[in-house]
Parts: sequence; C-alpha cells; structure tokens
Amino acid sequence: MVESSDLQSDAMHSARTDLNNYVDAAKEARFESRRDLKIGGALLGAGAIGAAALAFAGPASASSKDIMALQTAAGIENLAVFTYNTALTLPFIGGSSALPVVKAFVQMTVKQHTEHGQAFNAAVAKLGGKKQTGTDPKYTPIVQKAAPGLKGPADVIGLAITLEDVAAQTYTANVGQVSTSDLRQLFSSVAGVEAQHRAILLAVQALVGAGLVSQIKLPPDAAKLPAAAGSVGFPDAFYSTTKAAPVAEGAVS
Amino acid sequence: MSRMKKNQNEIAISEAELSSMTHELDVMHKETFSGVKKSLDDFSANLSHLAAGRPAARRSFLLGAGGLAVIGGVAACSSSGGGASKSSTSGGGSSSSGSPYTGDLKVVALAAALENLAVAAYGMALTAAGKGTYGAVPPAVATFVTTAMGQHKDHAAAWNGVLTKAGLKPVTTPALSITNAEVAKLQAAKTIPDVARVALSLENAAAETYTFATANVTDIGGIMTAAAIQPVEAMHAAILSFVIGEYPVPASFIGVDMAVQPSALTA
Repeated sequence: MVESSDLQSDAMHSARTDLNNYVDAAKEARFESRRDLKIGGALLGAGAIGAAALAFAGPASASSKDIMALQTAAGIENLAVFTYNTALTLPFIGGSSALPVVKAFVQMTVKQHTEHGQAFNAAVAKLGGKKQTGTDPKYTPIVQKAAPGLKGPADVIGLAITLEDVAAQTYTANVGQVSTSDLRQLFSSVAGVEAQHRAILLAVQALVGAGLVSQIKLPPDAAKLPAAAGSVGFPDAFYSTTKAAPVAEGAVS
Repeated sequence: MSRMKKNQNEIAISEAELSSMTHELDVMHKETFSGVKKSLDDFSANLSHLAAGRPAARRSFLLGAGGLAVIGGVAACSSSGGGASKSSTSGGGSSSSGSPYTGDLKVVALAAALENLAVAAYGMALTAAGKGTYGAVPPAVATFVTTAMGQHKDHAAAWNGVLTKAGLKPVTTPALSITNAEVAKLQAAKTIPDVARVALSLENAAAETYTFATANVTDIGGIMTAAAIQPVEAMHAAILSFVIGEYPVPASFIGVDMAVQPSALTA
C-alpha cells in the first residue's frame, strides 16, 4: 500500500499539471472565440455577421458545455464518495466482519473518487463556473433507495459496479464532447480508472457468487479460481457509452 | 489441459453461473460494438480522402462544424512532449520516415501495431504454456489470456479497417521499435507472474497510448475509438495486477508517461 501511495502521489502530480494545462487551454479557447468574432466581424462586414456569430457560438457554447460536463462529473464523483463512505459504515465492508483487502480497496477508492471530484471542480472554478458540491441527481435517489437493502457484500458490490460503470461510460462519452485536448485527456484518464474499479468489482462479485470469498486477497491462489473468473472483469472489447449521463445532468448555475 | 478440465469440473455450479454471466456480457459486447463501429465508420469516411489526395470537408472536432481539418498534427504533437518517454519506449524511437502512415493515420497504424504486439505476446505465452514452461497453468489464467488476446485482435481489426478504407495497407505485425525488447522479456519469463508482469507493462503502455491519443488525434471518430478502447486495456491491467498481487488500481489518473510514441512505429 505504501508503494501504491507513492504511485498515486506521482499520478496526482501529473494530474495537477494536466489540470492546469487544460484549464489554460479552455480559457484560451474562450478568449480566442471572442477575438475571432471581433476580427471576423471587422473583416467580413455586416453580411457575414451570421457566419461570424456561428464561429462564436461554436467554441463559446462548447466552453459552457465543458463546464456542465465537469459539473456532472463532479456530481457523479460526489455520489461515489457518498456511496462508498456509506458502505464503510456497514460491518461487512468497513467493520469487524469485513475482509481487510475489501475494506482497503473501498478506502482507497473513496480517496481516488475524492481526487477526481476535486479535479473536476477545480477545473469548473477556474473556468468560471460554480462548483458542483452535490451528488448526481439521477442516481442519488437510486442509491438512497438501495441503501437500506444493503445486507451483504454482494449488494454493495452490485451497486458500486453500477456507479463505476456509469462514471466510466460518462467520461468516455465526455471525451468526444468537450472542447480542448487537455479536457479530453482528463476525462479519458479518469474513465480508465473507473473502469479499473469496475473490473476489480466484477472479479470480486464473481468470487463472492462462487463462494470463493477466501480468494479475495492479493494475490489470489489462481489455481483455485474458476476458469470464467479470468474474463469476467473485462466483458467488452470496446467500452460502451449507452449509459453515459447527459452532459447537463449534474450541471449547476 | 486435462488438469484444467478437472478443476473446472470441481466447481461446476460456480462455473455455470459464471458462464451465464459471461454469455450475458458477450451479448452486451455485441451491443456495444455497434456504437464503436459507427465511430470507426465515421473515422474511415473522414480519412478515406487521404490516399486519393483529395481535400475533404471533414467533421472536425477542433475547428467546429464545416471546418477543414488538417490531418497531420499528431506527429508534431508527440515530438513536442505530448507524452511518451519512459519504459515502453525503452527500445528507442526509430524513425519511420518514408512511412505511408502520417498524421492521424500514423496513430491508427501505431495502435494496430501495439494491438498486434499484445496479440503476439499473449500468443507466445500460450505457446510457452503449452510446452510447460510455466508449469501448470490455472484455468482462470488461460481464460484471461485467450479472452484478452481476442479483444486485442478485435482492436487491431478495428484499427486496420480504418487503414484499409483509407487505401493503406493494414499493419499486421508488431511493427514497433520496442517489439524486440518485449519479446526478449517474454522469452526470459519462466513463471506465470513473470509473464503477467510483461503483459501488465504492455497493457499499461496501451492504455496510456490511447489516453495520449484522445488528446492528440484530430478526428472525432479516431478520438472516440481510442476513448472506447483505453478503459478496456486499463481493465486488463487491473486484473493482471490483481493476479500478480499488486494493488490493482494504483493511480487516480491514467497517465501518459508510458505511452508509446508514434515515432516507435516502424511500418
């Protein structure tokens, strides 16, 4: 876990650099879009106002779309943090009957989602938007409804898989929706991590379902794992976006 | 194989349940692929003018609707420090000057070559396992290798489809400057964890390369294809880490330091 923390520290340093880069790039994109309008209007004359307005509308609306996408992402992250923290209050996840490796995974995952939320909200603020401090409006009621029914690890894992998948799908879709290369890279870099969370949860779900809880450890005894466990963690060759949250789902103004 | 079969029989009920899950997931995979195929078709349509030397009014992500995109920024971006410099590029970045693959298509060719390398690596591992190099191979490990290899084949086929539609030859080999070094590592591997570490390095390099690609490819179809493959490589890496005994999600953000540079393409 010490090594893991070191790796994470390095990644965070890199992520902060990326964050600064893409915020600068997004700001530049907004500035350029306004300057283009001005120059375009002067050069093209009144007859071309429509075209110039189009040129303005594209990047400018893309920038507000960036903010909405970041706010929605922050809301998803906040919900993930809330959900995992709730799970940690349960005896079989964070209490005396919990497997140490499961508890450690949930704690680390909370930390990672917290950092994702902070990164998204920092970008929102630097782009002039309002930070999203709430949780995703669509999935929050689902989590609230599910919470009383979390009676065992399988229930928590199932809920977590849903949230991780929605997050990964949303950010994968966001890659194609935001306006700068740095933002694309940020969303992609987080999508891959949520997908990794999902992969491990799928594997753990399979082990729980197969009655092999004793193999939820690092490393498992590979010889004792069922054959299908080798592939259950990565079901698709291409990551879907069908469950992606709409850009404006968690937007705030 | 008989030992593998025996183990499977010992846990028949669990296996049935897991097989059922796998079937459901396979159906999901087919549904997912249709979306990716659309991205690839868009990508192909946008790139197909290149070989014929025609200009094209591409749907440009960066320039807005109706803008004329100039393919060719990727190589320049990579040389300006977009990413890769460390482990996976240890073989050096031999130039592929004179290569028919330029701009976005160079990244496509790079992606195809990377996928071919992954397929070859897993294939080598299976061959070595069949010869008993690693001792008894657990069924779950065998399933991992065959499934991951199949997905990498799917990825390679997708990227090569773009090249073919652009009028270029598909990249059917691991045409990369890093290939020899990776093959040497595989040949030196004597245990399952040894092989898994080599595979983990390749999967991480692939995931980071696609992360890099999302920021440096100019075509939206190409961007989305890279975006849809990156999480899958990251998932492979997570499971490999789990099997090795390392923390499976070691970082909060997928980096680009291990991304393979376009200059590593030798095709």
